[in-house]
Amino acid sequence: MYKRIFIYILSILFLFQLGCSNRSEETKTRILVSPKGLVLSFWVTVKAGADSAGKEFDAEIIWKGPNQETDIAGQIAIVEDYINKGIDAIVIAACDAQGLIPVLTKAHNKKIPIITIDSGIESDIPCSFIATDNVVAAQKAAQALAMMIGEKGKVACIPFIPGAATSIWREKGFVEEIKNYPKIELLPIRYSQSDVAIGMAAVEDILTAHPDLKGIFAANESGTIGAIQALKTKNKIGKVKIIGFDAAPNEIKALKAGEIDGLIVQDPFKMGYEGVKAAVKSLRGEKIPKRIDTGVYVVTKSNIAEKCIKSLIHN
Amino acid sequence: MFIKQYSIYFQKLASLLSLLIIVIFLSLSSPFFLTTDNLMSIGLQMAVIAIMSIGQMWIIISGGIDLSVGSVLALSGVVTTLLISNGFDVASASLIGMVVGSLCGFFNGFLISVGKLPPFISTLGMMGIARGISLIITQGVPVFGLPESFSIIGNGRIANVIPIPVILTVLLALIGHLIITRTPFGRYTYAIGSNFEAARLSGIRTTRNLIYIYLLGGFLSGLAGIVLASRLSTGQPSAGTGYELDVIAACVIGGASLSGGSGTIWGAILGALLIGILRNGCNLLDISAFWQQVAIGAIIVIAVFVDQYQKKGKG
Repeated sequence: MYKRIFIYILSILFLFQLGCSNRSEETKTRILVSPKGLVLSFWVTVKAGADSAGKEFDAEIIWKGPNQETDIAGQIAIVEDYINKGIDAIVIAACDAQGLIPVLTKAHNKKIPIITIDSGIESDIPCSFIATDNVVAAQKAAQALAMMIGEKGKVACIPFIPGAATSIWREKGFVEEIKNYPKIELLPIRYSQSDVAIGMAAVEDILTAHPDLKGIFAANESGTIGAIQALKTKNKIGKVKIIGFDAAPNEIKALKAGEIDGLIVQDPFKMGYEGVKAAVKSLRGEKIPKRIDTGVYVVTKSNIAEKCIKSLIHN
Repeated sequence: MFIKQYSIYFQKLASLLSLLIIVIFLSLSSPFFLTTDNLMSIGLQMAVIAIMSIGQMWIIISGGIDLSVGSVLALSGVVTTLLISNGFDVASASLIGMVVGSLCGFFNGFLISVGKLPPFISTLGMMGIARGISLIITQGVPVFGLPESFSIIGNGRIANVIPIPVILTVLLALIGHLIITRTPFGRYTYAIGSNFEAARLSGIRTTRNLIYIYLLGGFLSGLAGIVLASRLSTGQPSAGTGYELDVIAACVIGGASLSGGSGTIWGAILGALLIGILRNGCNLLDISAFWQQVAIGAIIVIAVFVDQYQKKGKG
């Protein structure tokens, strides 16, 4: 019996050892950078920015986020673990604007500076919020889409997760801006749940119910890819205009191939970079602005080769 | 005897009847519902869930449950697409993808039958392991840039009308139905689910049969993963999150009892179809995305209620 328990404990310890084997022993500044998800190319680019700032300011970047953007509890657990372990600063894209407040308050009380990037929280404890102004971004999307379809006809809007701040703002910006075009009819909102298959099915069904659809605004990468696939199966490529969001490699490829007509491109590299930079500055006691807008660009086939646009697409 | 048979027919009829009512209602309220185009869309949208529910139904009949289906689907899709993008041809990459799925199923079966773990626990473990491995081997980035020849599996059509995934689903259901009703292996599945001890004492090789059953489930999830990856023409490490609930729901709606021993393959297909039609119908009727979830939840509860009620009546 004791032998069995001993073996059990030993094997658990062994697994932990495996997990920790590449931990460094240095006493560098340690900054937790927690994205909302790990899968989208967007977050990979944020990581590139964070790493580059980490190198520049000699800080160790710990990159830990939940697998799914809907996994609020998972992100809370990560933050909690690192508060307990001891961390110098937290740079976080919050999975939920409310849900993360208690755990970040706990960090704040321990004098750990908090920087929110991309998706903020509804509280003033973060030293700075570094993100795209998503309402403005979606307004730009609405203007671009309206122009492409001649300011009349039916359009669909595919945000991702109802309740997630970024999704809400993009939906809000698009819906409000599109009201300025009296001849454009906005169909009921459909959510992709950040799942390509769900986004694809939604667009297929919209096309079935409204064969005269003129344009689609897909508010993130999975919605955009889903919309493209749906148009492909329905032979509607080119007949329905798509404005997508972000600059994942397959989105860029689709734009170059003429399968979509425009992409709203944020600056994820800048978010990661500025996030870590702000964290380092606040640790040094320097003053940092409460809000940094990282800006967006409407990228189309005609301007994709321009230098300033190229630098946004870190692939 | 007569009454018993009558009630079995009624039970089959009950889910078919509710399907029929929904179909008639949708045909009357949307002119687009009963078009070939839309019916094929529904078929495509439900094919992946339906293929997985065949395996899940088998496992539920044997008295178990498989929570790992969504993660195994992602793993096999990611393995297949990664191999293809590294120069493997479509056929052998798909074959390896299916082998990977089957291996996951084999491990589930092994842990359950030899290791005596409860199915809920061992498949819960596999759910995490398979998801983790698909994130590790892709480093969290979706696989894209797949050749046209790969998208035939998910997007090809026979006679330019019937999508290949739909044919595949019908074929698999037919084979599954024949095996479970006409072969010893099928009868053993029911026997193990009805009373494991009695089955073992009457000479059925329960260990071997349980491994076969879970292997079959893993194989079908693997196959579904390849179909999904092909349909989306990308390998998504986050694909299939939450699908286990859809798949279990399909089986329950289709008349499976979670305590084992009863259920039919056609029931699983019927359940998947019902969920698919409900989602499609809500989209066609422009019903709010939030009410869709309420509708599907309600259908599950009603289906199980009717099932229980009938069983009480029988006794």
